Order: sequence, then C-alpha cells, then structure tokens
Amino acid sequence: MSKILVLITHPPFGHENTFAGLYVASAALSKGLEVTVAMTGDGVYAGQKGQVDPLANINMPSTEDQIRDILDLGGRTIVDQDSMSERGITQEELIEEVEVQPLGKIQDVVLDEGEIIVTF
Amino acid sequence: MVGEGKKKTMTMMLFTGPYGSQYADHMCRIADRALDKGYGVQIFLYGDGVHSQLKGQNPKAFFNVGEALTKLAEKGAVIKSCVRCSTARGYVEGEFNEKEERYPSSKTIDAVKIYSLYGYVEMLGNTDKAITLGSSN
Repeated sequence: MSKILVLITHPPFGHENTFAGLYVASAALSKGLEVTVAMTGDGVYAGQKGQVDPLANINMPSTEDQIRDILDLGGRTIVDQDSMSERGITQEELIEEVEVQPLGKIQDVVLDEGEIIVTF
Repeated sequence: MVGEGKKKTMTMMLFTGPYGSQYADHMCRIADRALDKGYGVQIFLYGDGVHSQLKGQNPKAFFNVGEALTKLAEKGAVIKSCVRCSTARGYVEGEFNEKEERYPSSKTIDAVKIYSLYGYVEMLGNTDKAITLGSSN
C-alpha cells in the first residue's frame, strides 16, 4: 500500500489550497491509505488551535477541525519547526497531537514518508 | 511499487485553470509524452483545475487545453474531475449516473468524467508516480 504525503505550503485562509489538501488526506485515510500531512512554510498556520468558527465568520472551513479529523482517522501530522520559528509560532499555539519536527528534519520525513507526494 | 513488472502508471493533479498560467499546458505535454513512453496516465482536475473541462474553449493564441485533454483521453488517459469543485463552479447538472460513472454536465467535454474525490484517492493508491501542478499559485 502506497504511503501518501500531503505537503501543505499555503496558509489556511485566503486560498483554497490548504482545505483541498487536507480534504484529500481525509479521503485517502477513509479508504485505508497511509497518510502523513506535513505543514511547512505558511502551511504551519493550518495547525494552529483556537480557530473561531471560520466557516460561519468568513465562509472558509476550519483547518483545525480538518486536522483533528485526520488525527482521529489515524493520520500523522507534522509541522516544520524551522517555519514556525520564522513566523514566531510556538508549540503551545498548535493542536496538541501535531508533531513538531526539529530544524531541518522535515526534509527527512518527506523522503521517508512520501512514496507519493501531493503538494498544496 | 505497484508498477513493477508491468505497465507503469503516472497520476497528475491540476489545481489551476487554463490560460491564466501554463500549468495545464505543461501537464498535457508531460502526459502526452508519458503515454508515448508507455505509461498509463491518470489525471484529476481539482479546485480551479476543473475549468479545463469546459466545452468549447477557443483560445486565439494559446494552447487549447480542452482539445489536448480530448486527445489524451483518445490515447488512453483516464481523466476525472472533482464533483465538489465542479458543483461550486456551476458544471454539475444532476445526480451521479451509475451507468456512465460520472455526474452529468452539458458544459464539459466528454473526455473528463466528473467524479467524487475518491476518484483521486483511487488513482493515488494505484500509481508509480504522482505530480501536482498549479497548487503553488
């Protein structure tokens, strides 16, 4: 069975990309595929907790809810610490179950986990 | 990998529409070359990528993406598009047709079947290579 790596590089709102990528991750998990979601660059904002009902407020889905669904379905989610540091985001601001990968390690995860890599 | 000892398969996902950028052109040209090299080619149109399925495209100077997709399908490429994205953009005109395995639309070329996102997941679960184009906009 192929390992799928969904690479999220866009912020959660303003573009459809992040929602679309997380939607692919959920669909793949629900069909029994092994999925890792890696958030890097502005994609790290997708992992922030405490999003206040964006669907009601700005008509964009909550990426926090999507990531929690992915975790419930057995998916792995990782965030690039390097990108977090650049943007002043701390681990305490992220969804608790999201893994923070140390500086430079995101590339190893992409290579190890991504037989099939799809980028958003 | 799934393709060992048999025909290899490549899956391409297009996330942006035609003409505003050349991603659709690049995808079609890569797909055509892959077919010539003996690959099985699977294409999924996602997000604004579904606009490439519009019937009657008539660019005066640009590469005609609708015609290219039709030629790719004639050469054996499997091409599907996301029903959620297609519905949002006004393409879908009814419920899923089991016989034709597609959602109906009079606005799209025959080469592309409007389908659920699971169509893309099935492609990813059965491929040797995967490429995404147009998601960096």
